[in-house]
Amino acid sequence: MAAVTRVAALAGMFVLAGASLSAQPKTSEYSVKAAYLVNFGRFAQWTSTPNADDTYQICVLGRDPFGALLDKAVAGGTIDGRKVVVRRITQAKDAPGCRIVYVSDSEEAQLARTLAGLGPSHVLTVSDMPEFTRRGGMIQFVADADRVRFEVNTASAEDAGLSFSAELLKVAVAVRRIRPGA
Amino acid sequence: MPLRARRSIGRKLTVMNMLVSGAALLLACASFIAYDLISFRSLIVNNLTIRSSVIGANSVSALTFDDPAAAETTLSTLQADPNLVSAALYGADGRLFAAYRRASGLGVEARLPETIAVDDETRQSWSNDPGIIVMRPILFQGTRPGTVRLRSDLGALRDRLMRFVLIVVIVLAGSLVAAFLISRVAQRSIAAPMVELAKFSEQVARDRDYSVRAPAVDGGPEFEMFTSAFNDMLTEIEYRDVSLRASRDELEERVQQRTAELTSVNQELEAFSYSVSHDLRAPLRHVSGFVSLLNAHAGPSLDAQSQRYLTTIAQASARMGQLIDDLLAFSRMSRSTLTKQSIDLGVLVREAQAEVMGHTPGRDIEWKIHPLPEIAADRPMLRLAVVNLLSNAVKYSSTRSHACIEIGAIGDDRLETVMFVADNGVGFDMQYLHKLFGVFQRLHRVEEFDGTGIGLANVRRIIQRHGGRVWAEGEVDKGATFYFALPRERTL
Repeated sequence: MAAVTRVAALAGMFVLAGASLSAQPKTSEYSVKAAYLVNFGRFAQWTSTPNADDTYQICVLGRDPFGALLDKAVAGGTIDGRKVVVRRITQAKDAPGCRIVYVSDSEEAQLARTLAGLGPSHVLTVSDMPEFTRRGGMIQFVADADRVRFEVNTASAEDAGLSFSAELLKVAVAVRRIRPGA
Repeated sequence: MPLRARRSIGRKLTVMNMLVSGAALLLACASFIAYDLISFRSLIVNNLTIRSSVIGANSVSALTFDDPAAAETTLSTLQADPNLVSAALYGADGRLFAAYRRASGLGVEARLPETIAVDDETRQSWSNDPGIIVMRPILFQGTRPGTVRLRSDLGALRDRLMRFVLIVVIVLAGSLVAAFLISRVAQRSIAAPMVELAKFSEQVARDRDYSVRAPAVDGGPEFEMFTSAFNDMLTEIEYRDVSLRASRDELEERVQQRTAELTSVNQELEAFSYSVSHDLRAPLRHVSGFVSLLNAHAGPSLDAQSQRYLTTIAQASARMGQLIDDLLAFSRMSRSTLTKQSIDLGVLVREAQAEVMGHTPGRDIEWKIHPLPEIAADRPMLRLAVVNLLSNAVKYSSTRSHACIEIGAIGDDRLETVMFVADNGVGFDMQYLHKLFGVFQRLHRVEEFDGTGIGLANVRRIIQRHGGRVWAEGEVDKGATFYFALPRERTL
């Protein structure tokens, strides 16, 4: 977990350092995203506990863009007293047990079906794909100049039985409240 | 003097009261202020700590998701506190993440460290300018996203201190005025009786009236004791004063009585001697007259023996006449009035010398007359005195083949003029000095040196009547020196 925060702070430092470091390496971007992925859990609360597992599972659905970076980010970390672990899944029906599901770009084609499949599992969905929050996702990474930022859709979160803390919404680039098709 | 006394004792009491109350108040205020400032300072620290924790809680997401702008928005809410110099957020690695700096007239005043040491302790410290720094780690769900660092100046403390000082000054001034007024009233019970007694004793000392008594003053048992002791002393002094005055009066009376007695006796004596001398002259004239008649009538027929007897009788009666004349002159000298005038002593001495030399022709006398001053005296009387002294000198140096007489003045005394007459005659024995100036007192027999023994007595009388004195020095066969001193008149 110390590594996670260190990475996050490192990112902050780069931000402070200014615009000269505009082109960040891909690995750096994903290490930041990995850290954020873990931290999202700290700002989200479930109205009901979907499972009583003693681990806090962060799942990657589809093609994994993080690789070892995510494992490094969760190493030793805990959320709500639970040990954070990473699980890689290939389809939405494997989601039960997960708290946070990163939906890989590879799932974009059948996103609506995937999200519907994740619905009963009450997971926090995060993705890099554009329009993710507009299409029923909860948190979507956004590239803002040289920094990693995100959008939030609170309606999707409510439907999944979880809520984001105001702190999280404060730093979000955009907070939406839309249901696709509604 | 009484005013000064009142002021001094009254002022002392007032000043004492004001000092005591002022010092007590000042001490109380100082300790109260010190206590208040200490607790106020810990209040400031507490507030800073609470604020840092609020800021920390509100900055967790900004730190976690790397959003300095959001953090700065949070920090900028602190500008509501004018005493907050700066606020800063540091990331988990200790690097400056976001900052707020109070803007002042001089621009941005706070200089913030770019990095801090990371640890989990909440710290507070004094900064130099002066101020308080609180550093508090932000803890969030087992993570530590960063550290808040708040820095406050002591403006609030200073404002509070200034307010306190103002209050203390007002309270102190009010208390001093109150103390002044109260002690003005209170001092009357102490100072007023004291001043009254002081005035009374001063009056006693000035008027020397010991019959008065100090009035009872209302000032407590000490004053009663003081008054009573003072009055006892006055009684004692009065008693002694009365007896002293009585004995002095008695003494004076006795002296006056004695003086009157002596004066009358002296007058009687002088009248007696004058009348005796005067009455003796008539029979004496008869004696000498009839002796010369007898000599003319039967002189040639008398034998040599009888003629010698007659001559002796004539000489004796002549001498007696001389004695009587001298006595009368002496008596007159005592009674005649003094008429002082300025006299050139040198001239007077020359006159006297001429007169004396006229009586004693054929003598070989060397006169040494030194310069002599002017004096104020009765001329006829002083002349008589000088003639007496010179004739004495001539007389008692008659046994010398070469007589030497020296006359001069001694020294330059401003109070008196001293003149001396020295001869190289037979001198005298100093043990008979006391007889030298007495009436009819003679150290030599008439056969040796004729004279009535009244000359020096006259000299002394004359000089004494001028307020001066006479004395002499001598040795048998070595000559004698006679001195007289006359007081100098300031008018000359």
